[in-house]
Amino acid sequence: MNEAAEAAGLAPGEPLADARAKAGFLQVRAVDAAADDAALRRLALWATRYTPTVAPWNEDNGADGFFLDIEGAAHLFGGEASLIADLAGRLDRFGLPARLAVAGTPGAAWAASHFHEAPLAVLPSGREAAALADMPIAALRLSAKTRNALRRLGFKTVGALIDKPRAPFAARFAAELLRRLDQALGRVDEPLIPIVAPPVYHSLHYLLEPIVTAEAVVARASRLMQNLVHALQRDDVGARALRLCLYRVDGAVETIAIGLTAPTRSVGHVARLIELKLEALAAMEDAGFGFEAIGLAVTRTEPMPARQTNFANGDEGDRAERCAALIDKLRQRLGPHRVRCFAPVASHLPERAEVLAPLNGEALQSSPPARGRSMAADHRVGVNSSGDLTPPRLASLADPPLAGEGSWPAPQQERPLLLLPHAEPTEVTALVPDGPPRRFSWRGVTYDVEASQGPERIGAEWWRAPLSAHSRASGNPELGPRFRGDERQHALTRDYYLVEDRGGRRFWLYREGLYGRETAAARWFVQGLFA
Amino acid sequence: MTESAAFSANFASSLPQPRSRAAVMHELRRLLPTSESSHHALPFGLAALDASLPDGGLACSALHEVVPASEAALPAAFGFIVAVLARMGRERIIFVLPAYGRLQHGRLSGHGLNSLGLDPARLILVETAHRKETLWAVAEALRSTAPQAVVGMIDRLDLKISQKLQLAAADAGLPLLLLRPAPTLEASAAATRWRVGTAEAARDRFGMHACPRWHLQLERARNGRPGEWVVEYDHVAHRFSLAAALADPAFSRSLGGRSCRQASRS
Repeated sequence: MNEAAEAAGLAPGEPLADARAKAGFLQVRAVDAAADDAALRRLALWATRYTPTVAPWNEDNGADGFFLDIEGAAHLFGGEASLIADLAGRLDRFGLPARLAVAGTPGAAWAASHFHEAPLAVLPSGREAAALADMPIAALRLSAKTRNALRRLGFKTVGALIDKPRAPFAARFAAELLRRLDQALGRVDEPLIPIVAPPVYHSLHYLLEPIVTAEAVVARASRLMQNLVHALQRDDVGARALRLCLYRVDGAVETIAIGLTAPTRSVGHVARLIELKLEALAAMEDAGFGFEAIGLAVTRTEPMPARQTNFANGDEGDRAERCAALIDKLRQRLGPHRVRCFAPVASHLPERAEVLAPLNGEALQSSPPARGRSMAADHRVGVNSSGDLTPPRLASLADPPLAGEGSWPAPQQERPLLLLPHAEPTEVTALVPDGPPRRFSWRGVTYDVEASQGPERIGAEWWRAPLSAHSRASGNPELGPRFRGDERQHALTRDYYLVEDRGGRRFWLYREGLYGRETAAARWFVQGLFA
Repeated sequence: MTESAAFSANFASSLPQPRSRAAVMHELRRLLPTSESSHHALPFGLAALDASLPDGGLACSALHEVVPASEAALPAAFGFIVAVLARMGRERIIFVLPAYGRLQHGRLSGHGLNSLGLDPARLILVETAHRKETLWAVAEALRSTAPQAVVGMIDRLDLKISQKLQLAAADAGLPLLLLRPAPTLEASAAATRWRVGTAEAARDRFGMHACPRWHLQLERARNGRPGEWVVEYDHVAHRFSLAAALADPAFSRSLGGRSCRQASRS
């Protein structure tokens, strides 16, 4: 609830339609709990500047704040009052309005932060009972069920519960009520689970004598990796990305980024990748007077549970691991975008039906699965049906690569083994304007068609933005279709023919536009070559 | 005196002992990249083809060259390679293709591979900028022994490099299939060289394209016999067979599938 919402008279828990009726300018977004949680964690990590023990609130506490255990730390900031004033000032500058409270127990602090009249409250130690007495029952962090039951019995404030005999409450309510009451008053301890900063895997080495040669850099770097391996092993993680920093004597810093396909803890593998990168970069050529320090940091980690190695081939690793290592090497030398695999896309235009996607580690860990048939249904929409296109599912609008690797549809129609980068215009002779081709000339050669099969009609994707604009925006220029000609091309239906010439060459031709309906003079294109 | 005798005895023992001729020959034979070193072979399942190959099939740890019979037959040569790979297990395959070669003939298509029976998810496509990179990537892929097969496209290949690649393939125990688009070829150390030409496709009784046919010519085969066949490939069963017109004596007078097709068109 921000101020504008409060001014409009909205309340949490209200139906959206009512809220819309009250405030027509309302913008609605779905709650992103994961992002909220991550933001709270980041803020909690920042708050460790006051005290090492910072515990973000869990669901019971509302998950919208955190406890700071400032015992023994308050005097560093000039006392409790000035500490929370400092904290409030900083949060305010972040643009985060906050209510803060200091109390002897976490429970009392929670209650004061929610129900104290002042946004910054310091409850005197040992006087929690007095401070809480006037607060409503909700200050005890009770479940809705218990709150309702208490309200029905006429208990409105915490003070009404404090001095009552305990036995009837224990008999009537769940243990929650007395536990929360005791926690607020400090009769039982409430353990805080402090947030732990993510570990930093970084290793730095200062050299007595500057090093110049690539071999020396690799040797040093592998020793640094050796240091990091222990920490990685302890946390059961492997490195997915590393950064090697070479500090030159004259102050410049060479940075080398190393990406890995699968998490690794292998020193030899990392050393080999650094070697390849140094070869490619020629960073060593302007080493100047040499490097005086060298640092290696793991910038991205991924869980990598310890695994039992095969007795027979020791640390050789299995095929998937070797494959990941090979891909790392190829990528390091040739560039990350040169090693790719095919991924199907939910589109029935041939030039759009697949992308070349960079490989990721998860895909490699599992061996190629059996071909799935499930996606075949919505993969090619309305093929072969003249005119009436089945509307596509909403999910296919954004052209997502089909989930997972096993989702290559079972082949239904013949598709050419080689697709031309552009569909190339061709001169075709046909008996009737909408008939199969009898003769065509392509790249300066005339072919007599001996047999043809078709048409396979593929409709235009009317729900899509114009083709040329799309391919420019999609950022995959290599696979994006680059058609010559006008923009309205995408709106035309295509009739595909598999034709074979006298010598046995097989082509994939299409006629663009339905004769007499979409166009007066259909144009022909060669799009692919069959094996 | 005794000292020098002891020395000469010592010296004599340090010299290599003269070995029997049989032992030397055995040693030399072991070093030769012969069929004995490659136990695995991938049979085509066709008696006519397999009889021409020394191991009764395509040797699995050797270099094989695939040459299109003409420039127009490049898709057919690609198709033959894909068909051979599709018959070969379920592990990954590395394709090393030069980026410049792709533009003229088109690029490999995942759906096209799929309709030839090769799961596109098995493929790892490596694009290289020049010949040196291609050779490096092929050698690196072989050395890792990670994939099931390595395919490369190289236009020029001299004898020395082909020997190196053959040794790398033999060491790794992996088949290396090289697509050689150049029309004229040098001598090479490859175990086999296939020349693939186009042939009219097999048609079903409705005149529809049933499965591709290729005109295969085994030009060179180490310890094998060259030969020439028209084969067809069934992508569903992953099976090669001799083209029906050749297998069936009734059709043998009219070459190719023309009589079938004319019957189907009427």
